[in-house]
Amino acid sequence: MFKKIEDLNFYELLEISPRASAQEIHRAYERVRRVYDPNSIALYSLFTPEETAAIHQRIEEAYRTLLYEDNRRKYDEELRNSGEMQAPPVQQQRSLRTQASPAGPSLSSPGSSRTRDMPQPAADPVPQEIPAPAPFNSDFTGPAIKLLREQRNLTLRQVSDITKIGLRYLELIEEEQFQKLPARAYLRGFLMQYAKILGYDPERVAGDYLKRYEASMNQPKK
Amino acid sequence: MIELQDALRKKEIWAIGGGKGGIGKSLITGNIGITLARLRKKVLLVDADLGGANLHTTLGIGVPEMTLSDFLNRRVENIQEVIIKTSIPNLSLISGAQDFLDAANPNFSQKARLLRHLETLDADYILLDLGAGTSFNILDFFLFSDHGILVVLPEPTAIENAYRFIKSAFYRRFKKVVAQQNIKDLIDAAMDQKNNMGIRTPYDLIERVKTMEREVGEILELEVAKFRPKLVVNQVRTKTDIQIGFSMKSACQKYFGIHLEYLGYVEYDDCVWQSIRSKRPLTIEYPYSRPSRCIERIVHNLLRKEQLVASMLY
Repeated sequence: MFKKIEDLNFYELLEISPRASAQEIHRAYERVRRVYDPNSIALYSLFTPEETAAIHQRIEEAYRTLLYEDNRRKYDEELRNSGEMQAPPVQQQRSLRTQASPAGPSLSSPGSSRTRDMPQPAADPVPQEIPAPAPFNSDFTGPAIKLLREQRNLTLRQVSDITKIGLRYLELIEEEQFQKLPARAYLRGFLMQYAKILGYDPERVAGDYLKRYEASMNQPKK
Repeated sequence: MIELQDALRKKEIWAIGGGKGGIGKSLITGNIGITLARLRKKVLLVDADLGGANLHTTLGIGVPEMTLSDFLNRRVENIQEVIIKTSIPNLSLISGAQDFLDAANPNFSQKARLLRHLETLDADYILLDLGAGTSFNILDFFLFSDHGILVVLPEPTAIENAYRFIKSAFYRRFKKVVAQQNIKDLIDAAMDQKNNMGIRTPYDLIERVKTMEREVGEILELEVAKFRPKLVVNQVRTKTDIQIGFSMKSACQKYFGIHLEYLGYVEYDDCVWQSIRSKRPLTIEYPYSRPSRCIERIVHNLLRKEQLVASMLY
C-alpha cells in the first residue's frame, strides 16, 4: 500500500494517471523536476544529495520512457505482466492520449494512482532498452532533425502539443525555409525546446542550425 | 428545538502547530478564528501554548484575569468560567496559562479533563493554538483534533522542524495503537534517525514490524493512510516559496507515505507586523490586505475540504 520511492512506477513517480496524454506527461515532468530541485530547502533534511540525484535520474528516465509511444507501450506491458497495471488500455485511448487533452483529469488528483491495491512490483521495473537518444555526430540540419524525430516515432503534431510551438513553424524548421522563419532570437528558443524533446543537447542543435541559418540569410547581401 | 439543533451540530476541533517558534501560529490561529466568526460560525480559540501564551495579544486583548491554568489547577470547576468574550461577535477565547510552573506541563488527567470539557462546549469550531516544539502535550493535542494544521516558513530551520513534528506525531500515534511492548520499544528506537537497525524511513519501520507481527504492521499502514496533516506556508515572498509547499507535500508522500494537504500560504507583508505592533488583529485592521485574503482562502479550503493544486502555479 505504501511504497519505497525506488519502487514507484513511472506513473506514480510523475504523479499522473496511466492514461495521461503526452502533454500531461510533459507538464508533470516539469512540475516534478521543480519539486525535486536539488537546491530545494524542502528536501535536504529527508533525502541525501545522492538520493536526490537518484530521484532526478529516475524522473528523467520516466519522462524519456513515457514520452515515446513505443517505449511507453513496452513499459506498460511490463507493468501489466508484473501485475502492477490492470486491463490493457483500449486501442482508442492509446491514440487519444497523444493528443492534447481538454482540461480534464487534474494532474494532482490526490493519490489517484495509489488507491489501487497493487502487489509489489518486479525487482527492476526499468525497461531493458533505455531510451537514451542515439549519438548523433553530424550537423543538426533541418532534414536531420526530421529524421531523428521520425526515428523516435513522434509526429509534428505531438511535438507541437508538447512544446506549444506552432505546427507551421516546426514544418518550416525541418524544411529549412529560413526566409519564412521568425527572427533569430525566437528561432533559437524554438530549436532549444525541440532539441530537448528529442533528447539532444539544445545548445548544440541550436548552434548547428543557426550556423546554416545565418549563412543562408547573409548570402543575398554579399 | 433550537437547542436540539445546537446539540446535533457537528463541532470541529482544529489544532495549529508547527514545531518551531515564531512562525506565526498564533497570528494564523487568531485570524482564522476571526474570519470564521465573520462567517457567523461560533468560534472558540484556545491558547494551548501553555508555556508562552500570547494568542490574546494577536486579538488585541490585554492580559486576561481568568486563564486555562485556573481550569487546569481546579481553581474553577467549569470551563465556561475561563471563557472570555471578545469584541468580535461569535468569537470567544480561552487564554493560555500565565503561571510559571506546573501549568506548562499538565499531566495526563489534566489534559483528559480539558479535552472532555472542550467536547461539551457549544461552538462550531474550536481552534487550538499549540506551542512550539514536539513535546507529548503538543503532539497529543495535535493528534486529538479533527484537523491538524502545520505552519512553516520558507526557511530550512522551520521546514526541518515541521518534518520532525510530522514524524514525532505519527510515531506517537503508532505507539498508541500498538499494545505490544516490544513493538513500542522498536518505535522508540526508530525515532532516533541514527539507529543501528537500518530503519531510516517509516516504510522501513513498518516492514520491520511486519516481520515481527504482520497484523500490527498492517494496522500501522492504515494509520499512515488516516493521518492527513494540513500545511500552511507563512511569509511567502516569491513563487519559489509557494512551490515549497508542493515540494513538501510530494516529499512527505514519497518519504513518509503521508498525505500532507497543502491548504494555502500567507504572503509576506509589512501590514502584518504593523498590526502586531498596534495590537490589533490583522484581518480587522487590514481586511483587504494580501495576507488577509490569503487567510480567507485558507479558511475557504478548510471549510470545503479542498487544497491547492500545483497547476495553479504554472
